[in-house]
Amino acid sequence: MTSCAASFTVSCLAKSRTGVDTLQSEAKLNRFFAEVEKRALRIAEISIRNRDDALDLVQEAMIKLARNYAGKTEAEWTPLFYRILQNRIRDWQRRQAVRNRVMVWFGKSRDGDDYDAVAAAPDPAGRAPDEELQSHEAMASLEVAIADLPGRQREAFMLRMFEGLDVARTAAAMGCSEGSVKTHYSRAVHSLRVTLGEHWQ
Amino acid sequence: MNKRDTNAADAAFAEQAKQHFDESVACLDGTTRSRLNQARHAALAATQTSRPAWVQWLPASGVAAAAIIALVMWSGGPQPENLAIPAVASDMEILLADESLEMLEELEFYSWIDLDEPTDELPEPANHVG
Repeated sequence: MTSCAASFTVSCLAKSRTGVDTLQSEAKLNRFFAEVEKRALRIAEISIRNRDDALDLVQEAMIKLARNYAGKTEAEWTPLFYRILQNRIRDWQRRQAVRNRVMVWFGKSRDGDDYDAVAAAPDPAGRAPDEELQSHEAMASLEVAIADLPGRQREAFMLRMFEGLDVARTAAAMGCSEGSVKTHYSRAVHSLRVTLGEHWQ
Repeated sequence: MNKRDTNAADAAFAEQAKQHFDESVACLDGTTRSRLNQARHAALAATQTSRPAWVQWLPASGVAAAAIIALVMWSGGPQPENLAIPAVASDMEILLADESLEMLEELEFYSWIDLDEPTDELPEPANHVG
């Protein structure tokens, strides 16, 4: 009888421990997503030029990370999350390319042509209108130039510069070597600077 | 512009780009922030209603079962000539035969014949002398 009570107590404690662990894990994931979601959305949006679809892709990446990799360490989450997101972005771009070919076949225009980077630009943040306009225009032209980069250069630039990942974690997110990341990033920066001109700021 | 100047110009450009990006992130509108919040909570909720472990093996099991069936049919399975004639084929044969239609038209007659059909054995004579 005593042994039964003891095993019951141990079982309850184990379940309680598991519940606490789950809650802690969820809280950590919540913090991680809250920290990364806005930059991830903007990176996805710049890549695919569509905010609604970018939101969907970010949510899908969050779900996949939470389902499959919640048990990994927090340090691994960022490259994993961006790897999932970049895969989703590439899938979206492939589907869009096929869709565009079909639309061209039926004589309709591409959806991407409707995207207005200035209209999708963020709300003002208490700055003078001319400053705001200048910043919006600079960001809009930067987005257009980034969208025109080759895919790997675009990924390397945004992960290194916008997300602030180091070379090793960018390589993990992109699934390539650190040397490739350095090459892609360097070419991307140089190409963007040449495209936008010396007076861009 | 030498290599060092180019690198310096690239670095300055990258810093400027980072600044514009951070501003655009900081100024995201309320609707988008709200949708991100909802997306985050939906993702966290999805982990609580995650599929049972065996579900993830379903695709692999399906492929394995299909492979086994294909292997059996290709190598060790019964040959087509050994298979029983399907019922559908025999039904078609009956329906397409001319005599079956005649039989259907005179079904009562054949029923009567069936009732009065003589046995194969000849009846023994009542007073056999021999």
